Parts: sequence; C-alpha cells; structure tokens
Amino acid sequence: MAGICRMRLTEERKQWRKDHPFGFYAKPAKATDGSMNLMEWEVGIPGKANTPWEGGLFKLFMTFPEDYPSKPPKCKFNPALFHPNVYPSGTVCLSILDEEKSWKPAITIKQVLLGIQDLLDDPNVNDPAQSEAYTMFKNDKVAYEKRIRQQARENFPK
Amino acid sequence: MSSDYEYSDDENYFDDGDDMDTQEDAETFDEDEDDVMGVDFKTDDKGKRKAYELDYSSFSQSDVEDLMKKDIEYICGIFGVDSGFAALLLRHMAWNKERLVEKYMDNPDKLLVAAGVAAPETPIVPPNRLKSPTASQAGNTRRPTRTGSKLLGFGSKSSGASKSPTISPTISPTSSFSVQPKSPTSSEPFTCPICCDDVPSLKPVALDCGHAYCSNCWTDYISAKVNEEGDLIVRCMGEGCALIAPDSFVHSMLIPDPTAPIGDAEKEEANGNTWKRFQELLVRHFVSSNRDLKYCPYPGCTNTVSCPSAASKLSLTSVVPTVSCGARGIGGQMTQSQQAQGNLGLAGKEHKFCFGCPIDSDHRPVVCGVAKMWLKKCRDDSETANWIKSNTKECSNCQSTIEKNGGCNHMTCKKCKHEFCWVCMGPWSEHGTAWYSCNRYDEKGGIDARDSQSKSRASLERYLHYYNRWANHEQSAKLSLDLYAKTEKKMEDMQITSALTWIEVQFMKKAVEEVDKCRMTLKWTYAMAYYLASGNQKDLFEDNQRDLEKAVEDLSELLEQQIEPEMIPTLRQKVTDKTVYVQKRNEIVLDDTATGFIEGRWKWNVSVDGFDDPENTD
Repeated sequence: MAGICRMRLTEERKQWRKDHPFGFYAKPAKATDGSMNLMEWEVGIPGKANTPWEGGLFKLFMTFPEDYPSKPPKCKFNPALFHPNVYPSGTVCLSILDEEKSWKPAITIKQVLLGIQDLLDDPNVNDPAQSEAYTMFKNDKVAYEKRIRQQARENFPK
Repeated sequence: MSSDYEYSDDENYFDDGDDMDTQEDAETFDEDEDDVMGVDFKTDDKGKRKAYELDYSSFSQSDVEDLMKKDIEYICGIFGVDSGFAALLLRHMAWNKERLVEKYMDNPDKLLVAAGVAAPETPIVPPNRLKSPTASQAGNTRRPTRTGSKLLGFGSKSSGASKSPTISPTISPTSSFSVQPKSPTSSEPFTCPICCDDVPSLKPVALDCGHAYCSNCWTDYISAKVNEEGDLIVRCMGEGCALIAPDSFVHSMLIPDPTAPIGDAEKEEANGNTWKRFQELLVRHFVSSNRDLKYCPYPGCTNTVSCPSAASKLSLTSVVPTVSCGARGIGGQMTQSQQAQGNLGLAGKEHKFCFGCPIDSDHRPVVCGVAKMWLKKCRDDSETANWIKSNTKECSNCQSTIEKNGGCNHMTCKKCKHEFCWVCMGPWSEHGTAWYSCNRYDEKGGIDARDSQSKSRASLERYLHYYNRWANHEQSAKLSLDLYAKTEKKMEDMQITSALTWIEVQFMKKAVEEVDKCRMTLKWTYAMAYYLASGNQKDLFEDNQRDLEKAVEDLSELLEQQIEPEMIPTLRQKVTDKTVYVQKRNEIVLDDTATGFIEGRWKWNVSVDGFDDPENTD
C-alpha cells in the first residue's frame, strides 16, 4: 500500500511541475532534516478573479494517509478560514474529500485544489462546518462579502 | 447411553425452539422424554403453543442468500437481464420488487442510471460487464488526452462504448496526468492512473464505463470500501463516475482465477476475507430492507430470523417477539458437536433477542414500548432531578434551590437575602427567636410547599422500590456466570461422591438454567409493574410476580447449599420438584401477561405508544 501511495505522489509531483493552474503552488513539505516529506504538502490556492476572494492566496496543508489513494487526503487551511464549509480547525468539508461521499482514487491533486478554489466563492449551505461564517452568509450577504474581501487582503501574497 | 446423551440435548433444543416445531415434532419428542428424563421433568402441555410464544424461523446466511437469489431470478425473468444487473437494481430499490417493476416500466433509462447500472446517455448495456482487459489494448481509437472538464467521464461515452471498449489504456479521461503516448504504435504500455505503475505485466480492468485501472488498485480500493467503510456500493474509481461494480466484478477482483499463478498467500487470504465480508454485507442489506427479517445481534453470528407476525409496529403492542436464531455461544460459529456439549454459561448461551426493538435480550413479559421507556428512565438524569426535589427546598422568594446541611431553621437565602423558616417555609419575621422549633407549622404559607415536597418524595420512593428489585435481578443474572461455574463443579463432585451418572446430575444444570430464565422474567416484571395502572389487574399481576419470585428464591437457595453425599437423593428430588414448579410459575406469568396484551387488559399509568391514554391524567 505504502508503495502505491509514494509512487502516486511522486507522479503527482512530476505532473504538477510539468503543468499546473495559474496562481497555485503545491510542494511536499520539508522535514526538519531538510529531506522531502511526500506525505505532507504545502499548498497555496488563489481566490478567483472577479470574486470577493480575488487577490488572496490561501495557505493549505494536504496530509496524505498511508492508504492514499484509496483514502482521500486531509486538507486543512492554515490559518483557519472564514468560510461556511471550513471547520474551525481549518479542515475543508467538501464532498470529493469525503471517502464516504464522492472521493475517488482517480481524483488528482490538481482536481482537489481546483475543487477547493471553486468552493471558496460557491459555499454549500447544506453542509455548514462553522457557525459564524454560515450564519453571516445566510443572514447578511453584504457583511459577509466585506469580511471575505478583508480576509483576501490579509492573505495577500508577499 | 450415547443415545440418551444425544437425546437430552435435543430436549433442550426443542424446549427453546418450541415455536419452530410443529405439534407433531413436539409429540414425538414427548414420548422420548418419558423414556429418559420424563420422570424428572414431566410437562404435559408440550405441543400446545402458549400465548407468549409466536411463530418465527431462523435462517443461516446461505438460506438468506437463496432468498436473495430467488428475488434476483424473478427480476431477471421479468426484465430479461443478467443476474448481476438485477441484483444492483434490487439493491437500489431496497429489494422492493413491486416498486422496482413499476419504476422500470415508467422510465427504464432513468432507473438504470440511478441504480449505477448504466452511465447516463448510454443505451442499456448488455450483461457482459467485465471487459476483457487485453481486448482494449487492440483498440486504437484515440481521443484528446487532456481536458479539464469533470463531466468528461460521462461525456466521453459513445453509443458504441458497450460493444467495443474503445478506451485506450493510456487515455484516462478523468486523469489530468495521463501519460502521453510515447510512440504512436497501438500497443503502448498501460499506465495505471491510480498507482502510476507501468510494468508491462499490468492489466487494465474497467467497468462498462471504460475507466481502466490496474487490478491491484481495484483490489485495494474494494478492500478499503468493504472492510473500512462497510460499504457494498463500490463505484468506479473514476472521478464523478457513478457506475457500480456488480458482484461478479468484485468477486473477480478479490478471488483469483483458479488457473492463475499462485500469488501472495497472505494477500489472498485477506482478499478472501474481504469477499466473505462483502457477502455478509449483501445479506445484511437484504435483511435490513425486509421488515420480516432481523439480523442476529450477537457478535460474530450471521444468522437471520424471520418473524412476520411482529413486523408491524402495531403488533408490538400485543406481542413481545422474543426470538432466538438457533445458534449458541459468543463469537464465531459453534459447530453442532460443540452445541451438543450443552455448555453452561456464556459459551452455551442461546442467541435470544427481541425482534421488535434493539434490546439484545428477552424482555418478556413487558412489551417493547414500555421496556424502552423503563430503560430510558433508569438511564436518564430525571432521577437526579427527583433527588434534588426530595433533598432540597426552594427559597420561597427567589426559587433558588437550597440544600440545608446543618444549622438552625433560620435560613437566609444566599442569593436574595430572603429570610425564612426551613420547617414551615414561612417568612422568618413571624418566628422571632424560635430558631430550632417552629410552632407555626399550620400556617397557610407553608402548607402548599410541603405538600408538593412530600408528593415528590413519595414518587421517588416508588421508583426506587421498583428499580432496586429490577437492578437486583439484573445483578443476579450477571452473577449467574459464577453460579454456572459453581454448579458445573458441583455436578462433577456429585458424580464422584455418589453413584449418580452424568445424565442423572443434569437436574442441577436444568435448575440453574431455569433460575436464570426466571430472573430475566422477574426483572422485567418490575419494569412492567412500575408503569401498570393500579387496580385489580395490577394486584393479580403482582400476586403472580410474588409467587414466581418466592419460588425462584427457594430454588436458588437449594442450589447454593453445601452438598452432603447422603443428602443427594433428597436434594435431587427437591430441586427437581422446585424446578418444575418454578417453570410452571414462569409460564403462568408469561402466559397471563401475553394473554392480557392480546385482550387489551393492561392499563398503564403513563401514556404508551399504541395504547389508550391513562384515564385519569394527573
């Protein structure tokens, strides 16, 4: 199993370096001794243009379980994001990241990241993960958008 | 002697499963009994079904599989499709054949897509679903390799997809890193898009959708689904592809072809277990879809019980559907020979459970609704509140709850500084210096508060009365394991110290089993009595309960006694008599309550689902 996992992640890395969507970055984390840890990736997801998310680059950690790709990776925003489908811990709640919902082994890292980018400006109100963003999104769209714009500014890439 | 031996187990078996046997069986068995044990345990009313028993039958896993096969064949016959296909359709419709036929006639295409049998916009796929992987190698049709669209998995299907698997193995529509063909030859090596392996021996395997992956990845994926998620719906691994792998496909991935070269033995065993688990899940799904069936809740047991007479919610107000799946012991299947040992204790425990509710034991005589209510009451914090009510008082000004833990009767509320008398609850200003005695007890102000106080105290005491007895029997039942062990030892001792043979000391075992059974009944009679509305019916019920309790305690005492060799014959006589008596009393309690439910004789002091509300609701 572990063999498959590493082989697949190596290939994912290769493909990502060859070609990846504009504005994104994704790289395996460095262990303390400087070696590459394939099982944990540091990722940046840009907000889409013409949305309140524009301009922000949101940092996220992907943690791959040993039985990846049978099991989905865990995706966690760091710091946690103000978004109806992001848990207070930062973990993303998305159907393609849930092995009991739509996760399929064939889904690539690129697809996951594009999926999360889509989710940013298109929250799923049927599956709220934090109350603050959810209630504001439901009750006061104007304040919600303002807050999102502010968050995008805070996450402006340096 | 050997025939006696066998027979005595039969006796137990029939005794437990009376309801499953026809009268004829019971009679033949009766004759046998007279030969051997009849002297000891004469029961004349065998064969007549008692009011507290009901018809049920037990199925093994393979029996249920046969039932499933029948349904599948039925659908195959109507729709003219292959069995894997019919199984998926039935599973999608929760095994409701009528609705399946109806829906199919209404819009077959829609149903096929929803059931994961066919991909959208694909004509009905012929039953040949497991593609020969090598055949796809030959196909040289090539489509653009890279697309961002998530829907490609569906869109890529052409109407001819079912006939010729045109997917070239290097082109995986959903994978964005599919390897570009290195050479334009038609036989470029296959790279699995999941594990990215490209060794030449790798064989692509796909469902009808054509999304090809290597068999190792399929096996891992199926194992993860089945073992870790307990899911029997294994969809294609392609993103967004909703096609479900039929059973034959799962089988072919888990169980290698007998002609295949011998692989890793450990892995094969694991896969074999996964297949077993998958079959179990299929059966469980079928059973849970069918109201007449219930899976045995005991760990490791795979039997199923069918009890149509208790399948409706309404019937649960008149019967207590205690059933037994026929197996004994905990964990793993016991063989017939192990059962024949007639083990005492846990190892020989019958798999008794209630068909109507999730209580894993026999809660006769009380019906499911009341049993559930009682368990909830015992678990809830409601009794904590009762304690607070009985041990504390409320400040007559601000209603804060106060517990008096010493000192005189002059109370000053910590919160609102209201001063009052603990005894009469009236304001302190009227008391002057009477710190330890209150002579104003009859003042109007205090009477009301005290009334509600005493009422709540009485209701707590009432509850505790029933609860303590209930808990006592539960505790005894737990200790019965010890008793079983002790009894077994005593039986051995008796065989050594007296001339009694193995078969002749069985009366002890029988007696212990009976005590255990009756304690179970007694336990639940307290739950029942707690909720019974007072009146003649309740008095009669409590009389029966008292008789049974006394008889059980007497028998228990006999069993606990030290055994003197010279006393054994008298002891044997006494125990045997008592056992028969206890058995009778137990039957009377069960029979009378069961008849009462059928006649609608029992009235509750609270409102219970399915029963009339209590007359005086206060």
